[in-house]
Amino acid sequence: MWNNDLPMKTHFNLTDRRQFLQTGAFGLGPLALALLMRQDGLLAAPIKPELLQPSDLKHRPPHNPPTAKAMISLFMQGGPSQIDMFDPKPALNKLDGEKFPGTIKYDNAAQASSRVLGCPWKFAAHGECGTEVSELLPHTARVVDDICVIRSMHTGVNNHGQSIHALNSGRTQRGRPALGSWLTYGLGSESENLPAFVAMTDPGGIPVEGVLNWSNGWLPSLFQGTVIRPQEPRILNLEPPASRRGPVQQEYLRYLQTLNEQHRADYPENSELAARIANYELAARMQTAATEAMDISQETAATQALYGIDKKETEEYGKRCLIARRLIERGVRFVQVYTRNQFWDHHGSIRTALPAACLKTDQPAAALVTDLKQRGLLDSTVVHWGGEMGRLPVIQNDAGPAKVGRDHNTYGFTMWLAGGGFRRGGTYGATDEFGHHAIEDVVNHFDYHATLLHAFGLDPEQLVFHRNGRQETLLDGQPGKVVSGLLQS
Amino acid sequence: MRHLSARIVSPCLLLLLQMSALTAAEPSYEKDVRPILKAHCFHCHGEAGEKEGGLDLRLRRLLVAGGDSGPAVVPSNTDESLLLERVISGDMPPGEDKRLSPEDVDVLTRWIAAGAPTLEPEPEDVGEGPIFTREERNYWAFQPVQRPDVPHVSDARRARTAIDAFLLAKSAEHPGFAPEADRAMLLRRASFDLTGLPPTPDELATILSDTSDEWWELAIDRLLSSPHYGERWGRHWLDVAGYADSEGYTDEDRVRPHAWRYRDYVIRAFNNDKPFDQFIQEQLAGDEMVPPPSPNLTEEQIEKLTATGFLRMAPDGTASGGINQTEARNQVVADTLQIVGTSLLGLTVNCAQCHDHRYDPIPQSDYFRLRAIFEPAFDWKKWKTPPQRQLSLYTDADRKVARELEQQAVEVEKQRLAKVEEYITRTLEEELELVPEELRESLRTAYRTAAKERTEQQQALLKEYPSVASISPGSLYLYDRRRVERAGKLDAERKKKEVRFVDETRQAALAQVPDDLRSEVEQSLKIAAEKRSPEQQELLKQFPAVLVTLANLKEFNAEAAEELSRDRELANELRASQSAPDLKKFVDEAAAIRARKPEEGFLRAIHEVPGTIPTTQVFYRGDPEQPREEVLPGELTILANRPEIPANDESLPTSGRRLAFAKALTNGTHPLLARVLVNRFWMLHFGKGLVNSPGDFGVLGERPTHPQLLDWLASEFVDSGWSLKALHRQIMTSAAYRQSSVTTEDVRRVDPDNQLYSRFPLQRLESEVLRDAMLVVTGKFNPKPFGPPIPVMEDSVGQIVLGKENLDGERKPVDKVDLGGEEFRRSVYIQERRTRIYSMFETFDAPTVSPNCERRETSTVAPQSLFFMNSDLVLEFAMHFADRLQAEAPGSLESQIRLAWQLAYGDSPGEDEVQQARSLIEREQTLIHEHDSKLNETEVTRSALSVFCQALLSSNRFLYVE
Repeated sequence: MWNNDLPMKTHFNLTDRRQFLQTGAFGLGPLALALLMRQDGLLAAPIKPELLQPSDLKHRPPHNPPTAKAMISLFMQGGPSQIDMFDPKPALNKLDGEKFPGTIKYDNAAQASSRVLGCPWKFAAHGECGTEVSELLPHTARVVDDICVIRSMHTGVNNHGQSIHALNSGRTQRGRPALGSWLTYGLGSESENLPAFVAMTDPGGIPVEGVLNWSNGWLPSLFQGTVIRPQEPRILNLEPPASRRGPVQQEYLRYLQTLNEQHRADYPENSELAARIANYELAARMQTAATEAMDISQETAATQALYGIDKKETEEYGKRCLIARRLIERGVRFVQVYTRNQFWDHHGSIRTALPAACLKTDQPAAALVTDLKQRGLLDSTVVHWGGEMGRLPVIQNDAGPAKVGRDHNTYGFTMWLAGGGFRRGGTYGATDEFGHHAIEDVVNHFDYHATLLHAFGLDPEQLVFHRNGRQETLLDGQPGKVVSGLLQS
Repeated sequence: MRHLSARIVSPCLLLLLQMSALTAAEPSYEKDVRPILKAHCFHCHGEAGEKEGGLDLRLRRLLVAGGDSGPAVVPSNTDESLLLERVISGDMPPGEDKRLSPEDVDVLTRWIAAGAPTLEPEPEDVGEGPIFTREERNYWAFQPVQRPDVPHVSDARRARTAIDAFLLAKSAEHPGFAPEADRAMLLRRASFDLTGLPPTPDELATILSDTSDEWWELAIDRLLSSPHYGERWGRHWLDVAGYADSEGYTDEDRVRPHAWRYRDYVIRAFNNDKPFDQFIQEQLAGDEMVPPPSPNLTEEQIEKLTATGFLRMAPDGTASGGINQTEARNQVVADTLQIVGTSLLGLTVNCAQCHDHRYDPIPQSDYFRLRAIFEPAFDWKKWKTPPQRQLSLYTDADRKVARELEQQAVEVEKQRLAKVEEYITRTLEEELELVPEELRESLRTAYRTAAKERTEQQQALLKEYPSVASISPGSLYLYDRRRVERAGKLDAERKKKEVRFVDETRQAALAQVPDDLRSEVEQSLKIAAEKRSPEQQELLKQFPAVLVTLANLKEFNAEAAEELSRDRELANELRASQSAPDLKKFVDEAAAIRARKPEEGFLRAIHEVPGTIPTTQVFYRGDPEQPREEVLPGELTILANRPEIPANDESLPTSGRRLAFAKALTNGTHPLLARVLVNRFWMLHFGKGLVNSPGDFGVLGERPTHPQLLDWLASEFVDSGWSLKALHRQIMTSAAYRQSSVTTEDVRRVDPDNQLYSRFPLQRLESEVLRDAMLVVTGKFNPKPFGPPIPVMEDSVGQIVLGKENLDGERKPVDKVDLGGEEFRRSVYIQERRTRIYSMFETFDAPTVSPNCERRETSTVAPQSLFFMNSDLVLEFAMHFADRLQAEAPGSLESQIRLAWQLAYGDSPGEDEVQQARSLIEREQTLIHEHDSKLNETEVTRSALSVFCQALLSSNRFLYVE
């Protein structure tokens, strides 16, 4: 019998027991299933490789009826402070400046302090669902009835890179395919003229882990994310010069295809050569389609104002969110809109830096939900808002009120999801009374991915890539559960 | 609780037990269980004295003994084994992401069920230190290289060399090599492989007409002796070394202005086929091979010190502001060790920085033993930032010349200061002129009193006369303007005075005229001079003063004339003696003198300071703020029979640690170095390594596909005197290298992934090679070697292009700076700034060097197609290509097509291909004419030809080496 003074790192209290029950019960499912299936010889049964191993972007039906067809992920890189935005903790304000009464899992012990940092901002309940958000998010407050706020996110790896990989590619290690690659691998593209997987970077620089965030890993290179640059030209070399437009270019492309097909005839097994030929066709169509898709001057002034494009603070991010909507509208499968490198990493000066970060993103993010909804697109489009971590309830950098910040916290943080079959309104899960650890209905990255794939009609166990004699999946064999509490009933 | 967990766990265990009956041999602690526990549990239960809950998992008997909660394992009893319960429940290891996989749980279960067997008796006495199992000691990569016998294969299988024999002997299923590629294809392959450039038509003609038996060996030798060989293979080494022209680490990404000398050293070393043992020794310990740096570095010192640039390639943010110095310094050392580990040892030693390596037998203390080798040169407590540590290349003679010139310049500056003082005095006096006279003296005194010593009255006075108070060396130019204005005013006043004085003088003269004549005189004056009657003229002659003009004023009113003249001189003086241009002459002169100093070069090198050896301590959890036990330098413990690394070699001024390490590494007995090197060279020829994780020969890396061949190559390499060129010949003369890349359906079925080397793999050109190939093909190539890098800059749309940044005050680009042909030099000479990767390279997968690049990846995305279709760069290249064709094959379209084919593909086109190209060009001529009827025939022809050229440059046949 294990007892309470176990030689283990976590304390075995009531909450852990609840966690144990959940994860234990769910944890067994896939294991037992896998073993049973192996016994039955199911997994060893011959699999039609063309069904499981797509190497093109043709539209493919999912395993089950989906609720989502596309996704926009607003990736808040750096780790927004959940306790100052979405997860009110009155206990913190009571103890503001005093010694934290429990144990903190610090990341940077050098700058750590044990003094509690209360939330300097007021929370209020909004909408019919009554979800509480802080005054930093006036626009998000107006769409709470359309979003599901998860307060119990957990990755448990206290640094940016690993946690980003956990949420973007399933495991904490590098080198695996990104979520967008998996979705396009599984479902193909709805557009013949645009890349299926797009990453939109910030003018302030690419996120931590850079291009690995939209890497196809070991999936075929066709499923790699295409970067749309944060300033014009958003896609380099998108337009031919005047002298090459129209039939002049078409003739060139036709001849080029002849050359490439003749060359490829010697190497029928080489998928890279085929992908390169396909990419010329895509590129030719992109020239007009992408230019049109990114032309936000076609939008009304009202729509532009909705996204805050008329204001300096929100103009840049608003434009990208609006372009993301236009891309989804035109059949792009997955768009990820990044904030700049460590934008939310408020180790210091949180009192000024966090409001500034909210100012930039709050209105455009809320506008995206509103806009998709009024166009009837929200039902089939998942909108995700969140970073790779949240922040600790105690002070970091105790160098005066203006300088204080909060260190990383991946044990309990918040993100929200909207549309595509996710629950409308309300919160899910809970952290402890200080917002440090998720304790109720914990959602880890495996659960998150399992639930997302489910929404897209994809079975996490069946979306498989065969490689080196292994069957690779997004969850990598880890026990992740479809969290029904996040979905519309 | 107990009841509950048992209920959940038991059915599963039952299932697992049933499973175990179906599966292979029973697991052992050493082979199967320990690797799982080491990866997931040792960190808290066994490593470096950590025994949370009193539990140590490093031996089977310790598991059985258990910890505070009792036995972790009860042999043969899966239900009672708490270890199993905890891992299945997911409580252990803690953390959602750290669960054991079902496979691992299965292994543990079967092991316990089988009675928890070990392969051999466990050691009686274990300290806190690492325990290596026999499996770990016997791991292939740690065994000495044994030169294997070359296997015998039948003649029918077309083995040309030992390499072929090893490859064919690998599998009885080997379908044999593909037929030999034709000469043109081979030349293109070898040319890109060895020089990174396409073959020229002359080279093609030579190889096609060579009738000797050694035509291929001769061709290889020609390529190996090309100066471009070192640029190509040096570039490969620079990837591994993590070469960059900037410091990285922070957004500032400061430029490294002198890193290029190391790049040039590498290129020269490859061109000279510097034996690789020496090459590595110099890079690790060049400074310890020569006397300590003196004011006059010898050629040899310069070379050896430059070589240590290898250890200065890691990102280094320590010269940037706003960083945590301890962390930043520690990161430089850690990155340097990572570069050394992956490039030379083929191990991820960096993974043992914070804890024992999870998978490989590298305890954390070993990491710090390695670190101790380098720490005398990287003393993180007596750190010098990159600018502080650079070594000057000046000689004493240079210094003397420089000193003398400096003195001259200082002399000129002194003269300037004196002149400044003069101008200040002059300005002060001029300004005081404008001040009421009674205040002048006290204002002068106030001005001349040092600011701090001025009385309140003086301060108030100066405040009242800001134009006096503001006189300073920096504001003199403003008073120049005031002087010009004043001169203007003086002139204007003088003009008025001139009129007045003439008039007054005339009036005075008139007053002198007798009254009776006065009206006559006045009358005559009113008449224009040439209309006056002789009488009137006569009359006026008597009173010449009434005819006064400005020109003759002096005769009649000397005083007035004098005053005007003074005013004029004063105005001229005010205009002429401007301080600013005068002072600038001195500045220019001083600058001109300084410009004559000999140019001062610097080395970015390691030079260990003699006599200061820091202690190296293991950092608890890798945190430099928590240093623990001291360690001495040494190689990895798992490697048996390695030479000792002395803590301090008394025969050297420096500690000698790196030199001893470098010599030990290259003494021919190191199990890893030669294998790691030849594996990488093999990879660069064949696109994949015999160990396909070139930087990781450890447990998580891949196993060698052809272990015997790997060992044979390693021993050949060492026996040949570490000659890389000899190794190239070995590899490139094999049938495996000479075979075609095209194969048959049957072969593809037997060897779908080319694991057996049954054809030569198709390889895409790297980004740099693609650019260089375009330069050569289009005739723009500038072969100038060496020297400071070609700068990159951000263009107006944020692309990184070649060019010198020329920004105005608001950071807007102004005039383009002419690079004078530098823009057509080889890519290896382009500035490699970590945050500003040349856009074309970025599009084609330039590596990110953080800290180094073990293996390049290739991607295939639509922006690459757009680059070929629309980029200015490709369109310019296509135009150059067309111009070259017209110049070298004037008149005949067909010969232009043939030449283009040869240049781009290194081969002659077939008749069909000529025909297709011709019809493309003709159609394009029509279309281009329709598109823009203003173009004349020459322009249309050129443009259509350039479309054809663009198609060749965009084609896969150009982009890939077959």
